[in-house]
Amino acid sequence: MDIKKILVELSNTDGPSGYEEAVLQKIEKLIAPYVDRTWRNSMSTLIAEKRGNGKGKLGVFAHADEVGFVISKIEEDGFARIEVTGGIDPKVSMAQRVKIYTRDGATSGVIGFLAPHLQKEEDRKSMPHPDNIFADISCSEKRIRVGDVSVPDVEACEINSKISGKALDNRSGCASLIWAAKMLQKIRNEWDLYFIFSSEEEIAGPGARTIAYELNLDKAIVVDVTHANEKVPGYPLIKLGEGPVLTVGPMVDKSFKDKISEICSRNGLKTQIEPAPIHSGTDADEVQITRIGISTTVVSIPLLFMHSPVETVDPKDVEETARLIAVVAAEMEV
Amino acid sequence: MYLKELTEIGGVSGDESRVRDFIASKIKDKVDETHVDKLGNLIALKKGKKNGKRFLLAAHMDEIGFMVTNIEDDGTLSFSPIGGVDPRVVPGKRVKIADKVTGVIGYKAIHLQKKEEIFKVPAFENLRIYIGTDSKEASSKLVNIGDSVVFTTEYREENGRATGKAFDDRAGCSVMMDLIDNIDRYDFDVYFAFLVQEEVGLRGSAVIAEQIQPDVAIVLEGTTAGDNPEVPEYKWATHIGDGPAVTFMHRGYVVSSKVVQNIMSIAQKNGIPYQAKRRTAGGTDAARLAGTWRGVPSGVISVPSRYIHSPVSMIDLNDYHNTVGLVEKILDEGEVFFK
Repeated sequence: MDIKKILVELSNTDGPSGYEEAVLQKIEKLIAPYVDRTWRNSMSTLIAEKRGNGKGKLGVFAHADEVGFVISKIEEDGFARIEVTGGIDPKVSMAQRVKIYTRDGATSGVIGFLAPHLQKEEDRKSMPHPDNIFADISCSEKRIRVGDVSVPDVEACEINSKISGKALDNRSGCASLIWAAKMLQKIRNEWDLYFIFSSEEEIAGPGARTIAYELNLDKAIVVDVTHANEKVPGYPLIKLGEGPVLTVGPMVDKSFKDKISEICSRNGLKTQIEPAPIHSGTDADEVQITRIGISTTVVSIPLLFMHSPVETVDPKDVEETARLIAVVAAEMEV
Repeated sequence: MYLKELTEIGGVSGDESRVRDFIASKIKDKVDETHVDKLGNLIALKKGKKNGKRFLLAAHMDEIGFMVTNIEDDGTLSFSPIGGVDPRVVPGKRVKIADKVTGVIGYKAIHLQKKEEIFKVPAFENLRIYIGTDSKEASSKLVNIGDSVVFTTEYREENGRATGKAFDDRAGCSVMMDLIDNIDRYDFDVYFAFLVQEEVGLRGSAVIAEQIQPDVAIVLEGTTAGDNPEVPEYKWATHIGDGPAVTFMHRGYVVSSKVVQNIMSIAQKNGIPYQAKRRTAGGTDAARLAGTWRGVPSGVISVPSRYIHSPVSMIDLNDYHNTVGLVEKILDEGEVFFK
């Protein structure tokens, strides 16, 4: 198994917020050989534990859910209205085949778009209002009900050694945790190590914070993705292929982050830096303020076109993120 | 039915060769003659038992898509539409460039957009294709300015419906290929023209009437349905599932009433469902055939298709089969069109 295969497999597995089970099963199978035990908590989070000597607890988080859609109303004549779960731009959603999960299994729909020949001039001036977006479900043999969840129907592929597909936010993070566990299999870690695949991040749900509470962690590394190759005025440009990104900001324990930086430079691991003056937009914002407070850092994998069906990552960045997790976990001592 | 193979081939206007090669390979042993004309139209002939009249069937091979117009310094590709493509269906899609390089059309993530940007229509000049490179030099080794770009949607059938790209007009091409498979020899010559460059101004069909000099023509199309839920029923052009659509009038040509009436009465007589295309927007190659040489009376029969000119359109398979059936009956009773 190489990292590209893991990325493709996890991208192709569907798990919108609250419906992560299929993804967790794949991850569990991949990570189980490298850890002492795996289990779920009450909020459908998967934990993979690699025991140390019990003197400290490090949790490494990656959310397993993805953005998607939910069927909100069934119309006559084979159409359904949809709403988004998580932030999806209408601009990347039109004329898109979707997979819909019914009680009887997966089926197909199409987010249709009126042909230009029949459009009214005034409708051309803006994206359709969310109320006017629909899924054509006339091509489905299965009964679709309100509340059924849906994701874009795309298969991941390789583009010039990058991987492109849906849900790489944050299956890339999940892949880096699996890869780190593999790297650590012959290393004896002092601290107890928990790889945490949490639910419902995309809707700011309860996944990460409940498991952070339950495990009573000493330190946390939250692995997520960040925007690459997109120049944001006043911020450094984060580049695809240039390595994992360390966040600086109030949600990050600066001394922990500095220690990670130092370990990275000692190990020849190139990192980038991302300032987050208020929120990181990751589970770290909540994990840090759990119980009496947890020393937290954010490590991000550069990604293109976030929350679209063509999210793209460089597998090298995923591997380097895994290496970062592994070397940091190996050096954690009391 | 050749819809799967035909729709999954890339062939934008001016770059139809792969579609043409596929069709030619399938039909060459089933007709009396095939040739490719100066513009790239593929013309096949099934000779008549008697000399004389000529019946032309035509469908266009090209689809909408894009052309690479520039290779930027960061390795991304600028592109421009070929045919009518709404920029609102373009971001977030995977594409194939020059039939070999895979790319994606991304868009600045929603997190980084200002509120007023979310509902703004993207402009082609600001969209780029990413092909996994980070420099002009690297991209120049993979693609060239002028390369064609197509969507990569795979064909599927479920619940009596087919979804895929380019039903406009691979549906028409497939109908003609089915007819070539099915029909016997008639008294009159039957010409099949697989045309180029329809989407950029009905250009391939402009040289057809002069070459073939047919007595009558029927253009086979995948046409707009427009029966979306936000469109009131009185504005629907066609409704998928209600049968082949017969055009009485469109841009640049009022279809000869004799042709329309013959088509409709043959459908009625044979119990084949059909519908009138109830909007007059858009044109077809029939306008060219009627307006070139000394003029060919030309009808239009279409498979109604939802969401055409986008990466994923939908047809009803009964409509498709009824279109094949209707045209077969039209040929069986072809003599009425020469009267």
